Amino acid sequence: MEMNEICKILINASVYAPIMGAVLLAIFFPFFGNRGARVVGVGASIISFVSAIVLWFEFAGNYSVGITFVSTPLLFDIPLPPLGVNAISMPMLALAGIVGLASALWASRTDIGNARLYFLLLLVMQGGLMGAFATTNVLWMYMFHEFALVPTFVATILWGGAGKRMASMQMAIYLTLGALVSLVGIIALYAQLNATDFNLYSLAVALAKSPLSAGWQYKIFGLLMFGLGTLVSLFPFYSWAPRAYSAAPTSFAMLHAGVLKKFGLYVLIQVGLPFLAGGCLDWSKVMAILALFNVIFIGLVTMAQKDLKLMISYSSVAHMGLCFLGIATMSVLGIGGAILLMFGHGVSVALLFMLSNAIVNRSGQWDMSQMGGLYKQTPVLASFFLAGTLASLGLPMFANFWGELTILTSLWDFSPVICALGATGLVISAIYGLRAFANIFMGSPSEKLSLKIRSIEDLNWKEKLSAVVLLSALVFVGFCPSSITESLNANLSQLLTTTIQSK
Amino acid sequence: MDFQLSTILFLPLLASATIVLFMRECKWSGAVISVGSAGISLIVALTAIFSSAPADVYKTGFELFKLGSFSMDFGFLFDSLTRNMLFVVCFVGFLIHVFSVGYMNDDSAKSRFFAGLSFFMFSMTGIVLASNLFMMFLFWELVGFSSYALIAHYADTPMAREASKKAFIVNRVGDFGFLLGIIFCQSLLGTTNFSELAQIFQADPTKASTAMGLLIMCGFLGKSAQFPLHVWLADAMAGPTPVSALIHAATMVAAGVFMMVRLSTIGFLTPCVLDTVAILCAMMAFLASLWALGQSDIKKILAYSTLAHLGLMGVGVGIGCELAMFHLTTHAFFKATLFLVAGSIIHACHHEQDIFKMGGIFKRMPITSLVALIASLSIIAIPFFSGYYSKEAILTSAYAKAQVGSVFDNIVFWLVMGGAVLTPIYMGRLFFNVFLGAPNSETAQKAKESSLFMTIPLVILAIYSLGGGWSFVSNMLWADGKMDCLIPTSATLFIERAFTVRTELLEKVSGIHTLETIALISTILGIVVAYILYGRTKGYDIVEKKLPFLYEALNKHGWFDDIYNWYVAKVQQRIATFLATFVDLLLVELLIVRGLGIVSSVLGYGFKRMHDVSANSQVKWLVGGVIVLLILIFA
Repeated sequence: MEMNEICKILINASVYAPIMGAVLLAIFFPFFGNRGARVVGVGASIISFVSAIVLWFEFAGNYSVGITFVSTPLLFDIPLPPLGVNAISMPMLALAGIVGLASALWASRTDIGNARLYFLLLLVMQGGLMGAFATTNVLWMYMFHEFALVPTFVATILWGGAGKRMASMQMAIYLTLGALVSLVGIIALYAQLNATDFNLYSLAVALAKSPLSAGWQYKIFGLLMFGLGTLVSLFPFYSWAPRAYSAAPTSFAMLHAGVLKKFGLYVLIQVGLPFLAGGCLDWSKVMAILALFNVIFIGLVTMAQKDLKLMISYSSVAHMGLCFLGIATMSVLGIGGAILLMFGHGVSVALLFMLSNAIVNRSGQWDMSQMGGLYKQTPVLASFFLAGTLASLGLPMFANFWGELTILTSLWDFSPVICALGATGLVISAIYGLRAFANIFMGSPSEKLSLKIRSIEDLNWKEKLSAVVLLSALVFVGFCPSSITESLNANLSQLLTTTIQSK
Repeated sequence: MDFQLSTILFLPLLASATIVLFMRECKWSGAVISVGSAGISLIVALTAIFSSAPADVYKTGFELFKLGSFSMDFGFLFDSLTRNMLFVVCFVGFLIHVFSVGYMNDDSAKSRFFAGLSFFMFSMTGIVLASNLFMMFLFWELVGFSSYALIAHYADTPMAREASKKAFIVNRVGDFGFLLGIIFCQSLLGTTNFSELAQIFQADPTKASTAMGLLIMCGFLGKSAQFPLHVWLADAMAGPTPVSALIHAATMVAAGVFMMVRLSTIGFLTPCVLDTVAILCAMMAFLASLWALGQSDIKKILAYSTLAHLGLMGVGVGIGCELAMFHLTTHAFFKATLFLVAGSIIHACHHEQDIFKMGGIFKRMPITSLVALIASLSIIAIPFFSGYYSKEAILTSAYAKAQVGSVFDNIVFWLVMGGAVLTPIYMGRLFFNVFLGAPNSETAQKAKESSLFMTIPLVILAIYSLGGGWSFVSNMLWADGKMDCLIPTSATLFIERAFTVRTELLEKVSGIHTLETIALISTILGIVVAYILYGRTKGYDIVEKKLPFLYEALNKHGWFDDIYNWYVAKVQQRIATFLATFVDLLLVELLIVRGLGIVSSVLGYGFKRMHDVSANSQVKWLVGGVIVLLILIFA
């Protein structure tokens, strides 16, 4: 069989394996034990992961400009959502596969009450995520996103930590509103373009026929920016994120903060930029200034956090600022950097959430100042956590570094002042990251902790495995950024030249 | 050549990764792998150096990735400057690796230590070989990390915990400016490749911008610990002593100087930048020498001495970059020696670091002491010792520049002169207290000469502390001209060529020989003063006893730590807490978000109350609706 055909099967497998797994669990719910649920959950995410990785390598090896591996599967003659990837969605699909596997592996070793339901929800979420990045239909992107969103609310209510009701309520309202506003934007785009359907291709054809007026571009991009911005916790619509992440059960927090949050940025790049370039240009200063609030204001707020999980949640909000800054530059370098950082941040924040859960479970403490000296008991956990911290503060050899470097480089031409302000994030993230590591692992244990420190054990092999999956993805892109950028460069260059011409 | 350079660069990384992945629990295999990789790196580096003619320039590179007009290149630039630095890094690095085997023999986390050391070698050679600024920045960050990891070796001590964090964050502050400078350069000139930049500046020197240079200088200030980012270096002594020798004396802190020299040779730095560097560094050269007199920890004294000498190198950058490189090279030899001597003594005295608790070491550790004597004579610039040549060159050049220059140049010269006078005093204070007299504590009483792993590197380094400078000032060519005294010929060219020219020029300056004589006399006077002040007292510091406020002032080294701590705790953290509690929690979360929630629930409650299902209210709504309808129709 030709490779292209195999890839089309793989792209379907990556989306439908988790969904089928979820359906399987749902239909035969009473017959599954916890162990069976684990097997189905991990198995489905392995299929997703492997397909996504194979697709990624195949795509990076012989990419082409535009959407490839296009397929519209039929189910009893009913067309399912059209699938296909381009250079923008490929890294995101890979990210979803990687974090999905790690979170399923992590879930498989923790003792959760009602593991069946947990895995059912997790699979629905992962299916939604894979679909959101694999489909070429903008409306389906939205629908898949909702698919992925709902399980988080339910899971937070069922298995969440402190303050879960308030957090999930707040998250539900924020995200539903944000999604609705962006849906209005998407529908307005479709209506104004007079497109035949919501497919990216049809939208492009319609755009070529009749360009959008500047006024409509401005309005629609505004809707998308604030709607999607809420999903990505753009200042000032961020306050749902820290509470929700620290309350959500670990696997869901990993998927949500690592992958789902990137959806807003992804749609902004995939849909907003090519169809609404003029609007993006008009909004770019506003976007950049709001994003600077994310970097500096939230960065400082992060510095003041004492709770480990809240600290990581805030830091993930702060890092989103840089992605927005990259998009605001509207350059190949900036947007490419945003995608690199989305990938890197997605993996590293998932790693940090996972490990912080391990730390909190072991030490029984949330407050970082009440920990200390853990590295002697848990050297492996300490090194993984350090790696995650260093990745998120942008150390070379990890994917995040390339993202931050390219975004900052692109920002100079946009505005040197904004570039300098954005670069303060380098210092701020080093302060809170290393402070946290020093508080948790170095020094001597706090009074409370010293009683039980002898009984604390290092990561077991299953936990290590999921950390290794994430860390190797970070290091791989860190050493080989061209696996993402090569196709991106060709695609974005073409995309930006055509949009700039059409302006 | 490509293969050789890649081996030098990546072999230590491989060693480090192997140790981290497979040998965490092992006792000695980590050390074997690490020392082996450093040894092979040294051999390959030497063959690469020997196989190239002195003036050879080897350039290579490939594109790591490309986005739009930006392309990230990964390449090597192997010219005479690179060879000089590479020799220093690989040679001193290897010797310190060997020394560490002896020093760390009773450590429980040897593997972690050696993995860190190998990782450092990887990142440091990366800086040396880098062909463009972005690549240099990449490795720049990585040495920052290796320094962090190695300072944190004794992670359970509060000192290491704070010092590691501080080192990384202070460096990050410098890197903030450095990165902006690099980006500025990329945006303005379209490239950061050194050879391409050299062509650009050669064609049009006005393209060099002062702002760009000043931003890049921030990186130098952070890495080479110069004012105002010097506060991390003394604390970094919390790491194991070989680390202090390798990273915080001989190589990494000198990377900043190397970077400035690299940029200076291609015409990147404008006179204004060079003057700024010179004055900032001259200040440090003087002040740090002064502060060294207020320390009792042997490593801290050496750390302040390193600060002073880095300042001296910075002055060298300001007046002529080959001077900086010259002093960098000799300093790497004698300061590494001094730190290793300190390590050897600390090891023998069971981790006693207070010089006033040592004493009488000369009798108990003769080899170490003899080595210490040679290195001390070298650092205080006694003729024929290597330190003499480089320090004298900087002093006389500063003098020559002050003769024709502005008042700033005069200040620079006097500060350097002051530093030169203070060096014998603080070194004498250290030497007399540690080596002479009777032991002042039981641990010093029981000190024994260290193992061969430690003494052999010491002896080799002592030879270089003595004769390392001869390679640059004389013409002792050995082995078919491949060896210039102790250093391969093709690694000495960068300094030698410019240095010869400079010496000839200096000959013409009036009073240069008088200055040399005065400098020598004041050095000897310094030793005498040190002996009078510190040589005859045992177990205490006379200044501390007689003039406690002066000692306190020296000890506090300008209260910089207090100022910065005050800023962090009282300003930065308070702003952060204010934003987190008042703005984030109170304003956004409580007032706006919950407030909106309350408003909508009150509204909802009101609407609900209006829609009860009693007959009474339904009649009211009906009548109200009819009235509204009637109004609408007739109005």
